[in-house]
Amino acid sequence: MSSNIATSPLQGPSMPARLPLMAGVLWAAAILASSAPWLGQLSPLALLEAFIGFNADSYASVMAHFSWAPRVSMAILIGAALGLAGAVTQQILGNPLASPTTLGVAAGSQFGVTVASLFFPGLLAWSADIPAILGGLLAIAMVIALTWRLGFSPVTVILAGLVITFFLGATNMAFLLLKGEWLGNLFIWGAGSLVQNNWQPFLDLWPRVLIIAALMLLLMRPLQLLQLGETSARSLGAKVAWVRALALFLVVLLSATVVSRVGVIAFVGLAAPVLARLLGARTLGEKLVWSPLLGAGLLLLADTLAHWASTWGDGSLIPTGTTTALIGGPIILLALQGFRNTHHMPGQASSPPGFLPQRRATGVIAGILLVLLAATVVISMGWSPGLEGWNWTAVTNWNEAWVWRGPRMLAAILAGVALGLAGTLIQRMTGNPMGSPEMLGISGGAALVMVLVVLSGIEAGRAIQVLAATTGAAGALGLLILLARKHRFAGNQLLLGGLALYVFMDAGLRLVMASGGTQASKLLNWMYGSTWLVSETEAFSLMAIILTISAVLAVIVRPLTILPLGDVSASSLGLPVARARLVLLLLAAVLTAAATVVIGPLSFVGLIAPHLARVLGQQTVGRQLIVAGLVGGVLLAVADYLSRIVVYPNQLPAGLLAALVGGLYFLWGLSRHGKA
Amino acid sequence: MFTRLCVFAALILAMALPAAPAAADTWQHENGSLTLEQPPKRIITLNWAATEAALLLGVTPVGVADLQGYHHWVRQPALPEEGVANVGTRVAPSLEAIAELEPDLIVTSAEMAPAESLLERIAPTYVISVYRPDINAFEQARKMLLTLGDMLDRREQAEAVLADIEQTLEHERARLEQADLQGRPVALVNFLDARHVRVHAPNGLYQTALDALGLDNAWPHDGNFWGFSVVGLEALADHRNARLIAISPTPPGLRDTLADSPFWTYLPAAQRNQVYQIDPVWPFGGAYQVKRLANYLTDALLAGGSDNVE
Repeated sequence: MSSNIATSPLQGPSMPARLPLMAGVLWAAAILASSAPWLGQLSPLALLEAFIGFNADSYASVMAHFSWAPRVSMAILIGAALGLAGAVTQQILGNPLASPTTLGVAAGSQFGVTVASLFFPGLLAWSADIPAILGGLLAIAMVIALTWRLGFSPVTVILAGLVITFFLGATNMAFLLLKGEWLGNLFIWGAGSLVQNNWQPFLDLWPRVLIIAALMLLLMRPLQLLQLGETSARSLGAKVAWVRALALFLVVLLSATVVSRVGVIAFVGLAAPVLARLLGARTLGEKLVWSPLLGAGLLLLADTLAHWASTWGDGSLIPTGTTTALIGGPIILLALQGFRNTHHMPGQASSPPGFLPQRRATGVIAGILLVLLAATVVISMGWSPGLEGWNWTAVTNWNEAWVWRGPRMLAAILAGVALGLAGTLIQRMTGNPMGSPEMLGISGGAALVMVLVVLSGIEAGRAIQVLAATTGAAGALGLLILLARKHRFAGNQLLLGGLALYVFMDAGLRLVMASGGTQASKLLNWMYGSTWLVSETEAFSLMAIILTISAVLAVIVRPLTILPLGDVSASSLGLPVARARLVLLLLAAVLTAAATVVIGPLSFVGLIAPHLARVLGQQTVGRQLIVAGLVGGVLLAVADYLSRIVVYPNQLPAGLLAALVGGLYFLWGLSRHGKA
Repeated sequence: MFTRLCVFAALILAMALPAAPAAADTWQHENGSLTLEQPPKRIITLNWAATEAALLLGVTPVGVADLQGYHHWVRQPALPEEGVANVGTRVAPSLEAIAELEPDLIVTSAEMAPAESLLERIAPTYVISVYRPDINAFEQARKMLLTLGDMLDRREQAEAVLADIEQTLEHERARLEQADLQGRPVALVNFLDARHVRVHAPNGLYQTALDALGLDNAWPHDGNFWGFSVVGLEALADHRNARLIAISPTPPGLRDTLADSPFWTYLPAAQRNQVYQIDPVWPFGGAYQVKRLANYLTDALLAGGSDNVE
């Protein structure tokens, strides 16, 4: 937690004037923009009165009272709630990337609502809160269970939260793909919409938000102690783990309650505290005051923009989650400037004990993985369901079976290897356990272009898909290099830049999901990897790319061992730091682009494989690369096989299965090493 | 004069249309062409519009995409409970299952473009999209029905089906005219939850039914290429003249939520008792769905509306 102390001097300068000024400007702009369309029909005073009552003779007044005023109130309430939840989360975890979303709460709530929609529709009609809160609690309970023994060390909690997010997110997607027609409301819900036609939801919500917020403020003093760092807090008598757990519980309660009403409003919880900090909020008190205020202003502005966009276009609903993502992206980019001095993430120095497992011989581990891979290949080629039931294909008939099972399997394995390698490269290069191609935004860039293609309504053939993904990956890479050069390729700036890209992709995805219905399923399928579309030629060209890059990697593995030591030591050891980073970044990007075309941007193999390699006792770079590559290959080979057979003749995207399989295994590894 | 015109038209038709496929015949389609040696017997349809078309021609496909979904959402024309295999979802069907059925014709849409070369390896593939930007869905559905009629050597049946649809539309229009029910525009919606609806836009399949019935669509903007827009309920309030047609199924509890909402009770359509609920119709199917909608819509308008959904 060293950097926390650095960024929050206890007797630092007083709060700069620009914070209230900017907040005032934001609010003024938001309120003006929100009321502007009404001023033609109602006087400002009548509009103000719309918050209290309405004039039954004037339809405009009825509309303002039942549609506009509750929507404005909702935006302010929810923005403030999410801002507060975000600020508290960042405080608890001492991590600028932390937010309720990062902890899996949104994914958990969506899981709860999905399950309720499919199996208990009556419950949903009765109260949408309950399934959402239960889902959110389930997510956070999983996070807590996994990290309990590790004392909630920030990095571990964030990691566990991410994995839970992927895991539950993948489950949600599986439901959407298989039962999309039944879940039409969830496509909107997942994008967040503040549309109101009644005061009741607001009247239900505000007392709950107020109570939870008050409880959170009671935790302020213990939370303040956390700011001093874990050791000092403990010596001052605060039970660190308990304070964290309690605060986390409140965060979940607050986010899930809010989310159950209006759907997943992305990035307000992340952007508001970041903005508060950027504008100069230093102490915890300042953050807790200004984050909600900025969050409310942000959400009101974003929601107004969404409403404007809806009415200016063809009237089709632009979900608020889209505009918050569009506003959240630039704020995170701005944050790149703000965090310039933070050379590593808080908590990074105190690596959790769970990730220093016993060393094991690379030969043995690699051998076991190869045997596993071979077994998967044999089963995948041979044992398969047909319309008449399961049957075993004799080896002599494999040339026929190869047409349908071979190229996709080969491509999946190669994509896994590529992601394993890319993930290891990025984690080593950034010295950050959260680093992965997914987080770097290369996959996000590829996906962004894909989303745009779908939005434009072009029927993309395979060649166009590949071209689009490559263009996107290259574009993201270019942008990253620009950003990174400015910051001398320092790790966290890259991650934040990647996250911003991902935010933009997310915005597009939400838009498609909310408007598209069946169209969205097509996109989801691609996003989670359509191995079934891979042709023989594609599989073999992928093989050529991966083999070439692996050869290059074998030659230049040295910089990777030195870079994490820090720029100064690396330079003093004779390494051209910037250039080495650039080359490694390029390699990782090409690997990621190649894999993304096959498996989609969201498989998270790039995050999981390097970790598994470490859990399996591989600590030096070369060994970790080899084992991570193999782990990735096995993971996606298994995923591809499962995607073909589990709901035959339906198919699940292989990347989604990888997120499920890998997530499960990762959770198991995490908890096991927590106990050890 | 009239007879001469008819003869002339028949001659043109005879020249323009391919003869019954006794020998090998070739058809152009959206992404290439296909050749059939003889009328196919084993068809696989990869979307519900195509499934519907095959069933209308009296041909039961050997395999369809999303079998259960068809039974639940489309229903009519009915698919036999037995003897039809499910080949997977409509977005990602199982190529292996398709190959196992040994079809001699696959019908799919341009949505499946990335898989086309793989499908071609299995059987001749006819690509036609009922839903694509800037193309009239009903015209496409009509074209699909007629072309499939040619391919399957069931041209007359295809024409009979279309004639029946046209006849129904005329009949229902006459009923509405008689009752003088065509005046106010109608908004066709599917409720997604208590706050959001899918409203069917002028560029959708349903517009064909509205046009034929002499009804105006209350929603003025084009929607996405499926022909709908997702909108907040309050967007409908701007169209004060509109009658509101809610297509079943509606979400559980909707009636109570709406009844509790002053916004809803002030909604002009609700105040005038002009909310109608009709049986489920699949909005993204083929020509037959237009006929169903016309039937249900006419019946509902004649029966009179209420102030809430059912």
